Amino acid sequence: MAPLADRRAPGPAGTEASLIARAQAGDVGAFERLSGAYADRLFMLLLRLLGDRGEAEDVAQEVMLRAWRGIGGFRGTSSYFTWLYRIAVNEANRALEKRGRRPPSVPIGPDELRLPGPATDDPSRQAEFSELRRALARALAELPPALRTAIVLRDVEGLSTQEAAEIAGVSQAAFKSRLHQARLRARAAIGDEALVTSGG
Amino acid sequence: MGVPSRSDDHQWSQQHLSHYVEGELGPRARRRLDRHALGCVDCGRGIKAMRALVYAVQGLDGLAGVRAPATIFDRVRLATSGGSPSAQDV
Repeated sequence: MAPLADRRAPGPAGTEASLIARAQAGDVGAFERLSGAYADRLFMLLLRLLGDRGEAEDVAQEVMLRAWRGIGGFRGTSSYFTWLYRIAVNEANRALEKRGRRPPSVPIGPDELRLPGPATDDPSRQAEFSELRRALARALAELPPALRTAIVLRDVEGLSTQEAAEIAGVSQAAFKSRLHQARLRARAAIGDEALVTSGG
Repeated sequence: MGVPSRSDDHQWSQQHLSHYVEGELGPRARRRLDRHALGCVDCGRGIKAMRALVYAVQGLDGLAGVRAPATIFDRVRLATSGGSPSAQDV
């Protein structure tokens, strides 16, 4: 089969529906094509939630296995993407519980946290952005998993509140509450001065 | 309900800065926060900081060039050496 990088999203809903039907009938190639379209994004989500590349790789394999085993029960009440992401969030939380501790204080290298670059070549402005990037990485890492999940799904992934709440498995009201809490804590951790100076 | 005091407004505004930048406040609540922030340096700065935070977090885009590992389907492949999927809760 094609390497992950060569795979494209299944495309029109009809194509995805057809892949789902084939996967439900036991066609593993169809399952890999269907799920492979979201693999990079899903892996990045796991990296952000778990903060450890090795663990993210392990959990990503488990997510795909659970999705394969569960696809027979997928009824299409949500999109396949939402369904797969929900499995990923559940598995990430399970891994965090098993780990029995919070994510590491600096989850992934700051270089992987690609912030919008400063619109200047000024070295001092670039240094401020680098510092903000590190502070943001630390702030997200220190959030409890439920709050971290909320800010990652809504602000990093850019999902709608409805979709993000569905993935997180809570009501929209509960999800919004988590999101606002996460932002308040991150703001407090980074500090207004750093945010306004570097991000303004 | 009585008119909220200045300190009530301040605490309330600080708690609702995220709702404010998200555009979730109704017209009255938005006016309340706007009115308070006009005379409150902390809350005026807080709005800027919250906007900068959301902007910065949104800049952590979904992929950032990271690719899924080639091993991501290894367990599926191992499992399918033995048969097709069955309906299970996940």
